[in-house]
Formats: sequence, structure tokens, C-alpha cells
Amino acid sequence: MKQVVVHPERCVGCMQCMLACATAHSRSLTLFAAVQETPQPKPRIHVGAGRFNEGFPNRCRHCDPAPCQMACLAGAIYRRDGAGTVMINPDRCINCASCAMACPYGVIRFHEDPLGPAGHAIAVKCDNCSARVAKGQIPACVEICKAGALTYEEMDAAMRRKTRDVSRSMSTDADQPAIPAGVALLKTIKQSEIALSGS
Amino acid sequence: MKHVIIGNGIAGVSAAEAIRLLEATADITIIGDETFPPYSRPMISHVLAGSQPHGKLPIRSEHFYADQKITPLLGRRAVGIDVAGRQVLLADDTRIGFDRLLIAAGADPRPLKAEGLDLKNIFYMRTQEHAKQQVAALDGARRAVVLGGGLVGFKAAYGLLRRGLAVTMLITSGYPLSMQVDETAGRMILDELVRHGLTVQVGVTVRAFEGNGSVRAAVTDAGTRLPCDMVIIGKGVLPCRTFIPKGQIEVDLGVVVDEHLQTTAPGIYAAGDVAEMVDIARGCRWVNALWPEAVGQGRVAGLNMAGREVAYPGSLSRNVMRVFDLDVLTVGNVTPREEAGYRIVQTGGAAQKYYRRLVLRDDLLVGAVMINRIEQGGVLRSLIENRIPIRLPPERLVAPGFNFGQLLY
Ligand SMILES: Cc1cc2nc3c(=O)[nH]c(=O)nc-3n(C[C@H](O)[C@H](O)[C@H](O)COP(=O)(O)OP(=O)(O)OC[C@H]3O[C@@H](n4cnc5c(N)ncnc54)[C@H](O)[C@@H]3O)c2cc1C
Ligand code: SF4
Ligand code: SF4
Repeated sequence: MKQVVVHPERCVGCMQCMLACATAHSRSLTLFAAVQETPQPKPRIHVGAGRFNEGFPNRCRHCDPAPCQMACLAGAIYRRDGAGTVMINPDRCINCASCAMACPYGVIRFHEDPLGPAGHAIAVKCDNCSARVAKGQIPACVEICKAGALTYEEMDAAMRRKTRDVSRSMSTDADQPAIPAGVALLKTIKQSEIALSGS
Repeated sequence: MKHVIIGNGIAGVSAAEAIRLLEATADITIIGDETFPPYSRPMISHVLAGSQPHGKLPIRSEHFYADQKITPLLGRRAVGIDVAGRQVLLADDTRIGFDRLLIAAGADPRPLKAEGLDLKNIFYMRTQEHAKQQVAALDGARRAVVLGGGLVGFKAAYGLLRRGLAVTMLITSGYPLSMQVDETAGRMILDELVRHGLTVQVGVTVRAFEGNGSVRAAVTDAGTRLPCDMVIIGKGVLPCRTFIPKGQIEVDLGVVVDEHLQTTAPGIYAAGDVAEMVDIARGCRWVNALWPEAVGQGRVAGLNMAGREVAYPGSLSRNVMRVFDLDVLTVGNVTPREEAGYRIVQTGGAAQKYYRRLVLRDDLLVGAVMINRIEQGGVLRSLIENRIPIRLPPERLVAPGFNFGQLLY
């Protein structure tokens, strides 16, 4: 089963994934038309500023067991059979935000959504682009990310590669994990800037 | 293995599901007072407010017991436990034998002592039946009195305001939710409620109710008459512990359990609103009568009953409330009794419609209050719950742009 894997060290903070995600969760499915929809489609992946102001793409981890599911007061959160995807049923959600308290990653947002009931705010988060995947497409954020910060991989392959990267970065002789040269430079500059400004 | 569970609230239901996960054929019996299918107790306040229909309360199918191969004994009450004889005693003298027992009896509203309590339209707020009766009483009601400014009193007042009633709330501390939030947040919540028409009286209790069949007024201890067509009593809850043999199972405020949710009697467990265990943020035993606790504790109790040793890290108070235009999130110990030894970092306030307060002890976060922009509250809860030393300067943690990514380096 393929999953989205996030490589925060590669993120350049361009926020293209946010636009692509909002478009993928709009009614019209095109960026041009999506911006004119009411309610406005909103992204379910969030690029925040990291410690050194670098980009950090944050999305639902589809945890198992899922803390948000255990905290949901309305029984609105469930795991889609087979896929492992944690979903929120927009028709059951009562917008109580109990899940915001539960999610250790802070990836749930609350607003009226084009795919939810009209006139009501609900909890909204990444659904692994299940509608796109059902049509044979890959998740929109992965498709758009040109920095390699988001990849779509078989989970055990991804795990193996992560482990290898970590062990590589631990040993000084070996290569550094493969971060594009420009990104590494950008991060170094930002980090030294912050160090200089003394915060 | 024969498992018996007292209580068909979310703690009992979660435990049964966990047992079934590990033991496909074990015998599971649930003794439950309420005959309604498993439902969301917190949602009854949404039914009162009119934002959700009563029909949406169930959170498991009506075939839940059959699907999980559970023997339900509904509409029946446990009245005693024979610890040595491994039996539960029911009100009708039936005895139910067990190998493993879970006490998941929840809590009852703290009873009020006042005259005239038998008048119509005076309610507690705990069950779907209460919610049904409250909604029926709304018809023609104009004025309501709510007793108590804790979680349930607050939710009752909020729901009645949303229904358009004139609501008077009687509270003992200076602002509502004083157990959940600090004074700054409490005042912001109070102002928001007052702005929407709530009348608050501080330091007042009710001595009697008057009326002719139905309640027409509440009489305060100072002798003031507060005319009303409806009263909701929300003075907190008490664990249901009357049927528990105290000499054989340790009971404090709640039934005392260890990290495996086991009581002091081997093979007998407790979970949910009835249980008392170490509170992670406070470092001492506490009853955290909350939905996510009941789910988590029930689940871990069930796993242990089925033979898988799983430890529960401890309980933690936490709450999220929407108060008209304010979103309020609170977790852990936000008002340490002795401020010495704690560091408190705050930003925002009433004028900004945004507030954050963090309480730290050494390098650990032990409490947080957020008003508005609450999306990252779960990250703070996770830091508290997992006792993760904070390396980020607290000023960064309390700033509006804080997010999970900042914890990674
Ligand atoms: C109005 C309201 C709003 C709330 N809002 C929130 C919220 O926003 N967030 C939150 O986290 N929590 C909230 N709560 C608290 C939450 O509902 C409880 O923590 C949770 O339901 C506890 O589950 P439980 O299974 O431990 O107990 P209960 O739900 O009380 O279930 C226990 C069951 O056991 C039965 N029982 C008791 N004694 C016996 C006996 N002797 N024999 C047989 N059966 C027995 C009872 O009838 C009951 O059905 C709210 C509660 C109320 C009332
Ligand atoms: S919303 Fe948060 S808690 Fe729920 S599955 Fe996703 S990452 Fe986990
Ligand atoms: S906001 Fe919706 S999904 Fe989140 S806990 Fe409440 S009901 Fe469940």
C-alpha cells in the first residue's frame, strides 16, 4: 500500500502543495475555478515556519491507533477499511474540536468546506486524496512538489530508505542524506542568519 | 474466560471492543442501567442547544451487542460485588459470575439539597433521557436558571442561550469554568456569555424552588426570588461507587486503579468517570471525568483483562469549548495552587480576542490555555502527556505561529 512520505529537510517553503491540495478538494477541481467557489476550498496540508523559518509541510499521519478517533465526541472519525486512511465523516462531525486537542501534530482545521454540509463548519484534514487515488491518480501534493519533499511510496520501502538515511547521517564518513544542494544551502543561510540575529 | 463489565457508557463499550479484538470467543457480559444504544453523552448538550437532533446521539449501531457477541443485561443495576466469590449482585438478586470484572459505572450528577426539587422542569444533565425532557420543557419557556458554572453548568447555560431563553447562572467562583481555566480566560468567557445575554450571580446558592406543579421560581439563600420556567442543575459529578465494597476495593473520590487500570482487588478493573489514577500534569491521583479518558482507559483496561499487559501513562485533564465567537482549549494544570516552582508565560488578552497561557515546571510543560487559534493545542497536549523536555524557548511556544515543525531540531 502506497503512502505519502514527508521529507521536511527538502522543503523549500514554496507552498505549492497547499494550492494543489485546496484545488483537489474543491468542487470544480481546477485552480482557476476553485478560487471563485464559495465556500473557498482550503488546503489540508499546512506549510508552517520551522524553528529556523524553513518550510515544514505538515499533514495527517493517519496514526494507528488514531488519537483523534479516540477523542471524537460524535463518532465521526473512522478508518477506511483496507487503506488505513483516517477519515472524518462530514455529516456526523459536530465541530466540537475535541480532535484538535488530541492530534499531536496539529493538522486539523475547522471551517465550512465545499465537500461538507452547507453553512456549517466542520473538522477537515488530509484524506490521502482518496477520491484521486480511486481514479488512478496520485495525491495532489506529491504530484506538485518539485523539491522531493513529498513522495508517494510503498510504506516498507520508505521505511527502509529513512532508516538508511538516518544511519548514514550518523556516521561521519558516509555521504550526507541526499538533500538537493540548493536546499541545503538555503537552510544553512537561514540558520546562520537566525543564529546571528541572536534568537 | 468470563468478562463482566458494569456500565454501558463509552468506557465499558471501549473495553468490550478491546477484549473482543484479542479474544474472539471469550464470554463478555455488560450490565447497564440505560437501555438506549451506546451514545455520545457530551452530545446531549448539543441536543439541548438545538444544533444536533436527538436521533444522532448513538455512536454504535443498534446491533452493537449482537455484532460483538456481547450478552447485554440492560435496564439492570449492579448493587454489590462479592469479591471473594467472584460475583456481581444485581438489584433483582441475580448473581453474575466473573473471572475478570470491569467497573465502568461512570458518574452521577452531584445532588443538590433544596426544597421543592420534585417540581416539574427541574433537571440534571447527564443522560439522553434528560436531554429529551429538557427539549420538551423548552416549549413556552422564557426564563431559565442554571446552577453551577462548571463544565455541565456552562454547557447548559450556553445551550439555553442559543435557544433564546433569558438565562441566569448562579456560580460560586467569580467566573465560570474556574476548574478548567485561569482567571484571564475565565473573564473572557464570562464577558462573551454576558454579551450574549447571560445574567450571572456570583456566590449565590439556591435554598428552594417554588411553583404549582411546575417550577416558577428559584429562591436563593439570600431570599431573592428568581422567576423561571426551567432549571438545570450542573454542580459537578460524583463517581458511582455506592455498590463497591470499600473494605475490599480501595475507593477514594473514585475507584483507585494502577497503571494497568486494576483496582486493589486482583482481576477487578475500573475505567472512565468512576476511576481515579495518577494525573500526569499534577503528579498526584485525580478523577478526570472526560470522554477521551474514558475511551483510552476503557480500551487499555480491556486489553489488560484479555491478558495483554499494557500500561496507561496516567490521566490528564483537557477540554475544548466553543463559546459563541471564542474557541477555548485547556489542558493540564493551568492554575497551580502554589505558583512557586512554576513558570507562567502568557500572551494576548481580552482586547486581542486571543490569549495563550503556558505553565511550566522546570523544563516540562504542565498546563496550557488557549483562546482562539486552537489548532496546535494537540501538540501542546502531547508535550505535556509525554513529558517531553522543552528545548524551544517558551516565548516561541506561546507565539501565534508555533507549530509541530519547530519541535524537530
Ligand atoms: C452534558 C455533558 C457534556 C460533556 N461534555 C464533555 C466534553 O465536551 N468533553 C469531554 O471530554 N467530556 C465531556 N463530558 C463527560 C463525558 O461524557 C464522560 O466523561 C464520559 O461519558 C464518561 O464515560 P463512562 O463510560 O466512564 O461513564 P458513563 O458515560 O457515565 O457510563 C456509565 C454507565 O453505567 C451505568 N451505570 C452506573 N451505575 C451502574 C450500576 N450500578 N449498574 C449498572 N449500570 C450502571 C450508567 O447508567 C451509565 O450508562 C460531558 C458530560 C456531560 C454530562
Ligand atoms: S489527525 Fe492527527 S491524530 Fe488523527 S490520524 Fe491524523 S495525525 Fe493522527
Ligand atoms: S470536531 Fe468533528 S471530527 Fe473533531 S472530535 Fe468533534 S465531532 Fe469529531
